[in-house]
Amino acid sequence: MTEPLLSIRDLVTEFSTPDGVVHAVDGVSYDVFPGETVGVVGESGSGKSVTVMSILRLIPEPPGRIARGEIMLEGRNLLELDDDELRAVRGKDIAMVFQDPMTSLNPVLTVGSQIAEAITTHDSKVNDAEARRRTVELLELVGVPNAAARFGQYPHEYSGGMRQRAMIAMAIANQPKILIADEPTTALDVTIQAQVLNVLAKAQKETNAGTILITHDLGVIAEMADRVVVMYGGRVVETGTVDDIFHNPTHPYTLGLLSSLPRSDRQLERLEPIPGQPPSLINLPKGCAFHPRCRMSAGRDVCRTEVPELVQLGEGRASACHFHEELPEEIARIEAAMGLEFGADEQEGE
Amino acid sequence: MLTYALRRTLISIPIIILATFLTFGIISISGDPLQEIRQLPNITQEQIDNVRESRGLDDPVTVQYLRWVENIAQGSFGEYMISPRAIWPDIQRVLGNTMQLVIAAEIIAFVLAVFLGVMSAKRQYSLFDYTTTTISFIGYSFPSFLFALFLQVAVVQIFVRTGVRIFPIGNLSSANPGTGLSFLIDRIWHLILPMASLAIFSVASYSRYMRASMLEVINSDYVRTARAKGLPERTITTRHAMRNALIPTLTVAALSFGTLLGGTIIIETVFGLDGMGRYFFQQLGRRDPYPLMAWLTIVAIVIVIFNLIADLLYGYLDPRIRYD
Ligand SMILES: Nc1ncnc2c1ncn2[C@@H]1O[C@H](COP(=O)(O)OP(=O)(O)O)[C@@H](O)[C@H]1O
Ligand code: SF4
Ligand SMILES: [Mg+2]
Repeated sequence: MTEPLLSIRDLVTEFSTPDGVVHAVDGVSYDVFPGETVGVVGESGSGKSVTVMSILRLIPEPPGRIARGEIMLEGRNLLELDDDELRAVRGKDIAMVFQDPMTSLNPVLTVGSQIAEAITTHDSKVNDAEARRRTVELLELVGVPNAAARFGQYPHEYSGGMRQRAMIAMAIANQPKILIADEPTTALDVTIQAQVLNVLAKAQKETNAGTILITHDLGVIAEMADRVVVMYGGRVVETGTVDDIFHNPTHPYTLGLLSSLPRSDRQLERLEPIPGQPPSLINLPKGCAFHPRCRMSAGRDVCRTEVPELVQLGEGRASACHFHEELPEEIARIEAAMGLEFGADEQEGE
Repeated sequence: MLTYALRRTLISIPIIILATFLTFGIISISGDPLQEIRQLPNITQEQIDNVRESRGLDDPVTVQYLRWVENIAQGSFGEYMISPRAIWPDIQRVLGNTMQLVIAAEIIAFVLAVFLGVMSAKRQYSLFDYTTTTISFIGYSFPSFLFALFLQVAVVQIFVRTGVRIFPIGNLSSANPGTGLSFLIDRIWHLILPMASLAIFSVASYSRYMRASMLEVINSDYVRTARAKGLPERTITTRHAMRNALIPTLTVAALSFGTLLGGTIIIETVFGLDGMGRYFFQQLGRRDPYPLMAWLTIVAIVIVIFNLIADLLYGYLDPRIRYD
């Protein structure tokens, strides 16, 4: 493979709270290559958002603190940039689409002016008329009808889906190298989620940006992502291509996520949901953070005492399970029990 | 927007009528309007009866009130009981003086409060924040007349010790204020201490509002979006955060204008300024209902106007509010 465009290395981000230190991100590493889409999955609270917020240092400090790690973008460590250098990266090299389009736009400024300022702040040579023209083009690109007229409208005059389109337009305004979308459709009505995802895919194609797509919807991953990063308890527990993850997961947590997916061949039952609750990030379970919920551990000591390293299993493939080589047996067991084949569903869809 | 303003004005007319009627009734039953006349030396019972009859003081309150309204409809607030002198010119003069004082105090208080609120919020829990918080609470709870007296004492002490008169401690103008620019400078010089005394409470209260709403806005999603875009911190603060945080603060400030007017009663008396507040204080002791009514009516109208301004400002600053 080519060089990664963006490398997150051993990132540690913590929050001091009255209850104790929240280890939101605990040694996370993953890469984004040019033009690819990396899907990040994991239950809510697993540190997906804090990881990407740390990339642009958007963590509120205090209470947050990036304690350790590197964020390398084309040979530069973003965590070492001064304020002006960081500002030049934000919204230019790396742009973000946030989860809630209802609150992510400023209610007292027109949507158009908020997109236009993303352009002018990075290029002082662009005058207002030019910025306006380009904004209207962007709004057209993301499918906002009547774009010229809607330039001057306020966010409350846009529907949720239209606002998220506007956010996407803002994000791609400067042809970013990295596009980060943090659960871009979670807050939207189910009926328009697919449309907005299509717009996102189109926007990515247009800019050829390496994309980080956070979602808890494995269906979205199957459709949009090239590679997958699975997070649990503030750590990466598995990485692999979409094919790998869906057909040959190498971590019991991934397998659990797949098993709890509603499927067209067994439609009504949500089979084998992962038992128990996501872990507390203040007191993470010792050893493998997943062990209290893991069927495969079967009470083995090493799971409770030793944190499993994220071991490379092949090109772009890694797992943080002491017993990853047992996964095929476990998959076979579940497949037999459920009478289905992993990945079959997604293949049909493609 | 214009129709809205018009409608709001029309709605406030019955409110003002009701308010004036109630106060007229209360003043009528609360004392003897002829008290001052009775105390004049060499006054005869006949003269007193004459006044009573010519003023219609034996008529029912409603009739007296309607007569008063009729006067207003003719553009006059009637005459003083004790001498046939029109009230309106006096009101006009003191209203003008008070407005200079109050509007200047309000503007200065607002600008200062916005600055303090923004800086406190941006450096939450810093030394600056704690200091302004403490001073605000003192300013909030400290009686303004005491503050005024302290200022006067301080200025007098400085004068006694050094012979330098930093600020005058009374009056609106010097004996020979001159005209034009020199008059203006003389006026500002005279108004600084009363303004400070009047503004301190407002600075304290508005800056708390500004700090609170600024904190809320700074942590909002759209400020995070603005930061993620790569905007400079100054633009984020002014264009994205302050514009939103100003909305509630401006509303509070406009609605508090009545409190500020109330404050003039004490401050103008302490500084001996020829304004609405001192006028009210003087007339209150004289039991003459007409100047008091004139005062209350004017104050009610001013407050209604400022409520309307608050409303229109709100709509102007927040595009989500639409008047139709
Ligand atoms: N501002 C904050 N203060 C304290 N804790 C926070 C803050 N932001 C995030 N966290 C904590 O960090 C953890 C990870 O959060 P997040 O990355 O948002 O999870 P998700 O995977 O759902 O995106 C959560 O436990 C959350 O409570
Ligand atoms: S290390 Fe042990 S507890 Fe953790 S996932 Fe693997 S088997 Fe389960
Ligand atoms: Mg999240």
